[in-house]
Amino acid sequence: MAGSDDIALRAENLSLAFEGKTLLEGFSLDVPVGRKVLMTGPSGCGKSTILKCFLGLATAPTGSVAVAGRLLTATTVWSLRRQIAYVTQEPDLGTGTVRQVVDRPFHYRANVHLRDNLGQLRELMDLFSLGGELLDKNVSKLSGGEKQRIALIVAILLDRPILLLDEPTSALDVRTRKTLGEYLHSRTDLTVLVVAHDTDTFTFADNIVQIQGHGAGGSA
Amino acid sequence: MNIQDIALWQLALAYLLLALPLGVILWYKIPILGRTTLALVRMTVQLVFVGLYLQVIFERNNVWLNLGWLIVMVTVADVSVARSCELRLARIALPLFAALLLGTAAPMLIFTGLILRCDNLMDAQYAIPIGGMILGNCLRADIVGIRTFYNSIRTSEKLYHNALAQGALLHEAVRPFITEACQAAMAPAVATMATIGLVSLPGMMTGVILGGADPMTAIKYQIAIMIAIFSGTAVTVALGIRMTMRSAFDHYGVLKGSVFRDGGN
Repeated sequence: MAGSDDIALRAENLSLAFEGKTLLEGFSLDVPVGRKVLMTGPSGCGKSTILKCFLGLATAPTGSVAVAGRLLTATTVWSLRRQIAYVTQEPDLGTGTVRQVVDRPFHYRANVHLRDNLGQLRELMDLFSLGGELLDKNVSKLSGGEKQRIALIVAILLDRPILLLDEPTSALDVRTRKTLGEYLHSRTDLTVLVVAHDTDTFTFADNIVQIQGHGAGGSA
Repeated sequence: MNIQDIALWQLALAYLLLALPLGVILWYKIPILGRTTLALVRMTVQLVFVGLYLQVIFERNNVWLNLGWLIVMVTVADVSVARSCELRLARIALPLFAALLLGTAAPMLIFTGLILRCDNLMDAQYAIPIGGMILGNCLRADIVGIRTFYNSIRTSEKLYHNALAQGALLHEAVRPFITEACQAAMAPAVATMATIGLVSLPGMMTGVILGGADPMTAIKYQIAIMIAIFSGTAVTVALGIRMTMRSAFDHYGVLKGSVFRDGGN
């Protein structure tokens, strides 16, 4: 087993429950630095909640999570979130134009030093088949696929070492799925934990974790 | 010139006016007859009680008694805001009380001390009506502002969580929601300022004129009270949100479901 310094994400003995019903019990997972892990399982088994646990957006009644070798607590969560980029299922981009939405996180104190990354925006938009004219479009007018690609681009621009993706291809066409798969595969520096039913896009995954509920887990 | 008193039998005549709304309610079968009756009884009883109490307060004109009255008004407003926002009183009562007290007392004391130059800042003649008007307006604004803030975060949870996940600190993540809430809360006061005198004759001005003062004096009071109300509104809404946030969010920046009366479901 890899040492804690080599582990980007670690879940130990997590239990999840929803409205009194146990979803997951004794779930453990290690994702070493640079590995790509695909997590699959039936809907409602707690996959998305596991991702949220790594961000401190959901808390498990039992167990612990660690990010980049540090235990996630109320004190460490604020700095550990800077290690992670997260794309949620059917992202809510808020209000304003695409340009404003992309720009917004770079006003946060944690990301001000990353503003130069915005220089890669057009390149990434080209890669994901988004025209430059989209920048001045209001996000409320975007299709589900466009929103998903914008959310992915923002996550990439934030330049975090760990990427958590929740059903990132649910609204993408075959071509863009392929592009995303190739892009993630090429980024050997990135640790990726992706929740998806679409296993075809993520054939490059180093490990597939099948969640059955009540205690599945593994290490990659 | 003193204001003409209304005898009890004359006041009873005022109730005859109720025949008009009663006619509308019955004609269109509007299902608010019970609530209207209850509201009328409550209004009458509450105002009679307040009138009796205020008589004592005005006769004594004691600083501590006046201050006590202000605190009672703030407490009632506190409970009313929490209930109307469907939030758990136990979670937000104290910080909201502090916000309402501070937001009402500051413009009221500036009004009585700086503008009117009263020797006694808590003089009943000025402090009670001015404080009451500021607080009454703050109450309405706080209900809109605080409800908008917590409901927006609840309904846009994904957007809010995304901001946290992108590295935002708590104050950065809630900022757009505070902006939206303050805008919603302050918009009616701004609209009232823009149309005052044209659409309606404001309460304070009417009161001062009825009290026998010169209309220009009444106008000056009205301008000052409008500014005081707007200041109080802005302060209580912003403070109310910021101060209740301490108990409404956990250490991870996540809004606690337990702050809502329905448990966040």
